[in-house]
Amino acid sequence: MSETFWWLLTWACVVWYSTLTVYVAVRGLADIKKMLSHLKPPE
Amino acid sequence: MSSFGWIDGSIVGLYVLITMAAGLMVRRYVKGVDDFLVAGREMDVHLGIASLAATEFGIVTCMYTAESGYRYGFAGATPGILMALAMFVVGKTGFCVKPLREAKVVTLPELFEKRFGQGVRRAAGIVIVLGGLLNMGVFLRTGGEFLLTVVGFGARLPGGAAGGIEGWAQAHTLELTMTVLLVLVAVYTVLGGMLSVLVTDFLQFIVMSLGLVVVTILILVRIGWEPLARTVSEKFGEAGFNPFANPDLGVGYVLFQACLNLAAVLTWQTTIQRVMAAKDAATGQKVYTGTAFFFVCRFLVPGLWGIAALHMLAPGAAPSTLTAMPTWLSTFVPVGLMGLLVAAMLAADMSTDSSYMLTWSSVIYNDIIAPWRRPGWTEKKGLLMNRLLVGAIGLFLLFYGLWYPLEGDLWAYLGVTGTIYLASMSTLLVACCYWPRANASGAVAAIVVGAVLPVAYLVAERVAPELAKSIGPYWSGLSAYAGAALAMVVGSLLGSPVSKEASA
Repeated sequence: MSETFWWLLTWACVVWYSTLTVYVAVRGLADIKKMLSHLKPPE
Repeated sequence: MSSFGWIDGSIVGLYVLITMAAGLMVRRYVKGVDDFLVAGREMDVHLGIASLAATEFGIVTCMYTAESGYRYGFAGATPGILMALAMFVVGKTGFCVKPLREAKVVTLPELFEKRFGQGVRRAAGIVIVLGGLLNMGVFLRTGGEFLLTVVGFGARLPGGAAGGIEGWAQAHTLELTMTVLLVLVAVYTVLGGMLSVLVTDFLQFIVMSLGLVVVTILILVRIGWEPLARTVSEKFGEAGFNPFANPDLGVGYVLFQACLNLAAVLTWQTTIQRVMAAKDAATGQKVYTGTAFFFVCRFLVPGLWGIAALHMLAPGAAPSTLTAMPTWLSTFVPVGLMGLLVAAMLAADMSTDSSYMLTWSSVIYNDIIAPWRRPGWTEKKGLLMNRLLVGAIGLFLLFYGLWYPLEGDLWAYLGVTGTIYLASMSTLLVACCYWPRANASGAVAAIVVGAVLPVAYLVAERVAPELAKSIGPYWSGLSAYAGAALAMVVGSLLGSPVSKEASA
């Protein structure tokens, strides 16, 4: 029972973490662009 | 023999170059103190998740969670589950973090001043900096030990063979490596502040995550789940899967971890700085819920590496339980992937160091030296002071962090020193947000009790080790949380009630 719990949790970590990395890599870049455009010093 | 070769060295060099370039490029966007400390409060959800995850995972995290896996099996990953639960619940409900962000403060002590007065703000600032810096003190040496072990320089750690400058350099490879690393991090943090930290954290999150995921998949594919689970079962029995069944862990451990992790989610300055930098309270809460499950990975992924080391290494093959995982990884990870692993760990360490330096300097500037700041200080002067403080913290880390003799269980040490401030600050925050009767007397009492109990335990470890052992770090830590809460209640009830304006 407890071994199954850790098996499930381990694979959930691998799948979730891989997905999050790709998702955040794409969306985070957009966040950086937006943040820097708001903070851009006046020309 | 480590498999680290020139291909790996090139990958690491390229990573460092790109990070430095990105960190330095954004420095021109820093116009004032707010941009420097909280990125002009322009951070959005996904950048926040990347930054929070990268900051809260350093090499030191990887080392102690792997050590937990090596020493306790899967049960050693329990704190990760507790922290994920705490972060999800706090993010979902906005408990404390919503009023904190809506107060538009930069640090916790600044919020406390609104309720408890200037004296409490300064005292809280000192406790936070003291607890935080003591905690951070172990980062550099532990990180250096990991890096040198996996690249195959571990054997040189105790001392060099030759004389002269070369011999000295060989004997101090760890110190020199970590000095160079810290100087690189300090350069972009000093110049770009939180903006550089966020942008480099983003890059570091990607590199770090790639390394963590790929190495974990490699372990699961090449060794397999079954042998790992069997090793845990043979070495620890049920205790390797259930913390309550382990006599070294037990109820005290789980309760202490629950308190510690909830308090960290609420008050650890590097964590809540992401809430402060968020564009609004809802964004800050989303960063928390989005990052919550990462904290399971933060403990379970390196924990699995530690279990793999336990399975593969012959007894006595590693110098200590702390270095078992890097000792084994240095021979397991192939060329090319080793470069990714070292880059990932460098990324983890650099993002943590930069955030921590910025965070503690922000508390010193904002809350401790505030009385000496003249009202007419320009933004330029404020920026200069912040940059000097970041540099000073870097210097402190070099001397204290590289020479501190680390003893005993690393996680227990981090827990106790962290408790120095987590116990009192979490009590103050909850009372400040939700208990109208709380006042300065209660706050001072909570700070004193919350700091004295963990310090007394650290002193007892030196002067009365038997007594300290009989109490244990977990019950000692728990007494600090209970003591701080009790002191807040008693102190507030005995002190004079706060005015209606202050409690509003």
